[in-house]
Amino acid sequence: MDIGGFHIPDGLLYTKEHEWAREEGSVVVVGITDYAAKTLNDVVYVTFPKVNDKVKQFKSMGTVESIKAVSELYSPISGTVVRVNQALESHPELINKSPYSEGWLVELKPENFASERKVLLDPKAYTSHVMSLSHK
Amino acid sequence: MKTTPLYSYHQSHAKLTEFAGYEMPLWYTTTTEEHMAVRNRCGIFDVSHMGRFSVKGPAAGSFLEGLVPTQVQSQPAGKAFYTLLLNEKGGIIDDLIITKLAEADFLVVVNAANAEGDMAHMRRHAPPSGVQIDDVTATSAMMAVQGPQAAAVLQPLTALDLGQLKRFRSGVTQVLRQPSIISRTGYTGEDGFEVIMFGPTTDAPQGALAVWERLVESSAACGLSARDSLRLEAGFPLHGSDIDQETNPFQADLAWVISADKKGYIGSDAISGFRQTPPEVVKKGAVLDRGIPRHGFEVLDSRSDRIGVVTSGSFSPVLKKGIALCRVGLGSSGSGNSVKVRVRASLEDGRLVKPPFYDEASYGWRRAAT
Repeated sequence: MDIGGFHIPDGLLYTKEHEWAREEGSVVVVGITDYAAKTLNDVVYVTFPKVNDKVKQFKSMGTVESIKAVSELYSPISGTVVRVNQALESHPELINKSPYSEGWLVELKPENFASERKVLLDPKAYTSHVMSLSHK
Repeated sequence: MKTTPLYSYHQSHAKLTEFAGYEMPLWYTTTTEEHMAVRNRCGIFDVSHMGRFSVKGPAAGSFLEGLVPTQVQSQPAGKAFYTLLLNEKGGIIDDLIITKLAEADFLVVVNAANAEGDMAHMRRHAPPSGVQIDDVTATSAMMAVQGPQAAAVLQPLTALDLGQLKRFRSGVTQVLRQPSIISRTGYTGEDGFEVIMFGPTTDAPQGALAVWERLVESSAACGLSARDSLRLEAGFPLHGSDIDQETNPFQADLAWVISADKKGYIGSDAISGFRQTPPEVVKKGAVLDRGIPRHGFEVLDSRSDRIGVVTSGSFSPVLKKGIALCRVGLGSSGSGNSVKVRVRASLEDGRLVKPPFYDEASYGWRRAAT
């Protein structure tokens, strides 16, 4: 789905803070949305949690920075960090170029996904959320 | 909110932001792209929000002489110079550029955020007669054309021979047949020009829009975000962040604007006092190995003792590293130039450097001609 120039793919779950989560077998891949990337304008620096760190749903696990601003990276779910996208250390611009694919941030082994996913937004709900923000 | 004569262009091409009461372009494409366009080619900026005051009359020169620490009356006509408005304590009310157009005709360009206060300060100290001060901000437009190709971009729009215009010199001319002043000045570190066009207003913006549309054919439109990253990379201070009413010129590495032996200007007694004793804090540049320093972050020495604070920080598109202007204690020790900056939860290693942050052989107005 495209709304106001922002791409919001089907099949993902979203947070109000503009992270996405994608279930891939036993892990959940996390990134920031096209809306978040475009609002930051040009991502130049990322700080990650460490592999094996435990993260909690909706708690900060890193930062995504543009020239102008710092944005917290909130985890959409609770779990353990399996992998981080090392490519972003030298090519943070991948987040702007490809927020849902090459610009992924963290891979998590979920702790309680079955119940936590219920409080995440589906594409339709996230689209409404973005629309309400862009009309402010 | 106030707008500039170029607002209709910004509205259809830029992400907008509020700045100093004006609705201004933050970026058109990305900050990095606009920043590098200025370093490598040419970028144009709408700086019409900056305060522009005309100061005329037989007493104009002596009036300004009493306001700033730089010699005014001995400047030649056609000279533009960077200087400071100081308070009685020697603190910096604002930094500004004064252009001497003729013996009794000056143009003063100040920061948008301070324009109102600067005007009040000037009126308060103006003599009862012999000086006419007019705010011409709303009846003019101002654009900065910056980068190694700036002269080639601007030249087709004016009869003034830009090749003959030296740095910090101004010419009265026309730009697309409209009365203008072109100065070889800017705040990016690059060669470039600032163009003030007299006549355009928000209600009659056509003249300014016509010039902007012509310039943008051969340059990149740049917003306030790139303007800030460029001035930081050049090591130039931003009033309100790096300098303020509590900072004196010696602490800000701006003592060079003070003309030797000049007396009798506002703040001169305090300045004489500062000359006797070295400042306790000084401005330094810092480059980090990792992380991005931001305003207010702590600066520590190699033993992790606090020695200062970041006054401006961001990411340098040229170095691809975090850079900062800091205010650090002069007596602070530690090994060499190694410092640490507290970036949220982590201490990041860095070193103190003298700005500009880029290699002057490759970037900036001093670079070897290509």
